[in-house]
Amino acid sequence: MLVACTKPKSQGDLTLNVGYSINGKPLITDTLCYINEAGNEFMITEIQWFLSQIELQDEQGVWIPMEPRIFYIDTNIPESQTYRISSIPTGKYKTLRFTFGLDEEDNRTGLFSDPPESHMFWPEPLGGGYHYMKLNGKYLDENEELAPLNIHLGIGQNESHTEFYQNYFSVEIPIDFAILENAENQLNLTMIIDNWFRNPNLYDFNEYGSAIMQNQAAQQALKENGNDVFKIGQNIDNQNNISMNKDKTLWEKFSETMQKAVPKPHFWTWENVKERVKRYEV
Amino acid sequence: MHKIILIIGVFLALASCKPEQEKPYVPTPYELPKPAFFPNATNIPADNSMTEEGVELGRKLFYDPRLSGRDGEDGIRSCASCHHQANNFDFGGSAGLHHSVMPLVNLAWNTTGLGWNGSVSTLEDMVLAAVTSPVEIHADTNQVVRYLQNTDDYPKLFEKSFGSRDITFVNIERAIAQFVRSLVSVNSKFDRYLRGEEQLTQDELEGYLLFVTEDGADCFHCHGGGGNALMTTHLYYNNGLDGHFTDPEDRHAVTGNLMDRGAYKAPTLRNIAVSAPYMHDGRFSTLDEIIDFYSDSVKNSATISPLMHHVMQGGVRLTAQEKSQLKAFLNTLTDEAFLNNPNYSKP
Repeated sequence: MLVACTKPKSQGDLTLNVGYSINGKPLITDTLCYINEAGNEFMITEIQWFLSQIELQDEQGVWIPMEPRIFYIDTNIPESQTYRISSIPTGKYKTLRFTFGLDEEDNRTGLFSDPPESHMFWPEPLGGGYHYMKLNGKYLDENEELAPLNIHLGIGQNESHTEFYQNYFSVEIPIDFAILENAENQLNLTMIIDNWFRNPNLYDFNEYGSAIMQNQAAQQALKENGNDVFKIGQNIDNQNNISMNKDKTLWEKFSETMQKAVPKPHFWTWENVKERVKRYEV
Repeated sequence: MHKIILIIGVFLALASCKPEQEKPYVPTPYELPKPAFFPNATNIPADNSMTEEGVELGRKLFYDPRLSGRDGEDGIRSCASCHHQANNFDFGGSAGLHHSVMPLVNLAWNTTGLGWNGSVSTLEDMVLAAVTSPVEIHADTNQVVRYLQNTDDYPKLFEKSFGSRDITFVNIERAIAQFVRSLVSVNSKFDRYLRGEEQLTQDELEGYLLFVTEDGADCFHCHGGGGNALMTTHLYYNNGLDGHFTDPEDRHAVTGNLMDRGAYKAPTLRNIAVSAPYMHDGRFSTLDEIIDFYSDSVKNSATISPLMHHVMQGGVRLTAQEKSQLKAFLNTLTDEAFLNNPNYSKP
């Protein structure tokens, strides 16, 4: 009877928008137009990563966990960059906390059976579980040739694969934010890509190379650099992610070459066949 | 009194039914297995749920040259003309097509397009494409329907499967697609290893270690492994076969994205040992040739996948022993139970 008289605490929803910035501007993919602190020219093709265990801290210092517990975010899947979190107690919050990647409890092989998450699997001999992040692209190496760039973060290991190192990290960001009932509560989380490569460790692509899944020194450097990679701020327009920077001479030159190489579409395609079989349709 | 009349009426109505109407159309649902380490997500359309009757009809159609809708010397083509069970439902040689034939295995879990460039969205569409393609079965769908309608066996099988003796090409597509979705390979030695039922040999284990490590053969990002037992992501990559691209039917032809020049679907490596020739153009005939390519002959280009980490060294640079171990692992992906499954053979 007493329970029935208790007024339920009001709740609100939160929309979390994830974006990317580089050199202070929204990320443009597949375009060789960026230079990192070490002087490497590079481009980014895609970023796929896990963000987990989001919590909000209220004014009394109590941490409120958000559900779902794990978010998969992928620049190839626009809808994966916006999440709606329901049923959060209304009120003011002063800190946002989350885990970049997956901790020991979450990071178990077999956790995901469906793509795209399952494509993030991190092989058992290397520690198992899932990549925390795949940041794929290209960079101009010391010979001015386009080389693969793969910032793949996950569990590190020693050379004999007998010791393993957890490379996920926790991020805490002060906020001044309120969840209101029946309101469009939005937080915009930005990954500042430049910061992966400069503070406190200067990350030179020529030094660490294209593949770092078995390079704990590289994993550690990036883990430490992750301290200032995330910020809460203005919404980043993800639509810009898929545009190309036509001003860059290398890309233009490449594009022209490739365009000339593309023959006219005289070939057999599904569209052609569909046209042809229309008359046969029963 | 009214109740009595109603009961009599219902009784008379039931008694007046013809014998064939006594058995309503109630097909038996087909239970697609859910193997360990396979996705939950399938490509089964809402309007083509799998049934025992549909799969069996699809199997009959798959093997039946009457699917060409004609008699005579050229009326001998069926799906099975190019998709041989012993070869992983691949052709097992050059079929003389622009691209080599792709295997039909575990395709129920392929949700990213069909064919080397993914130009066909569904298995149902693929049936239409293959039946009408001038370089495949080359049939007229109206003619096929008329032909099958006039047989003794098919109308009743379509009735069992779809509730009507009137054959439509849409239902032909649906039945064959159901059969293809039923082709499930999940009992290779590697599957048994993943399930803890059988140990791999030391060489096979070393090969698996090479398969799933960047500093090894670096195969897993595109071809799966313990965390993705389909042995493919079903995605599209330029794997460095060539440095210049002239094929008008690559992934770029579908997406229009220049970065997809020279990109093709990563095929599953299940039963790879019996799926020769290899690559979209069938340029390699043996596993040794493939391994040699990835070891020493990968070509750089502006559109090569970033996942080809070792392209600057020309490949992953395996020793002779490592090549042998990798091959030993690839051979553990052969599923004899699938290749000889009587449920998949010619009825």
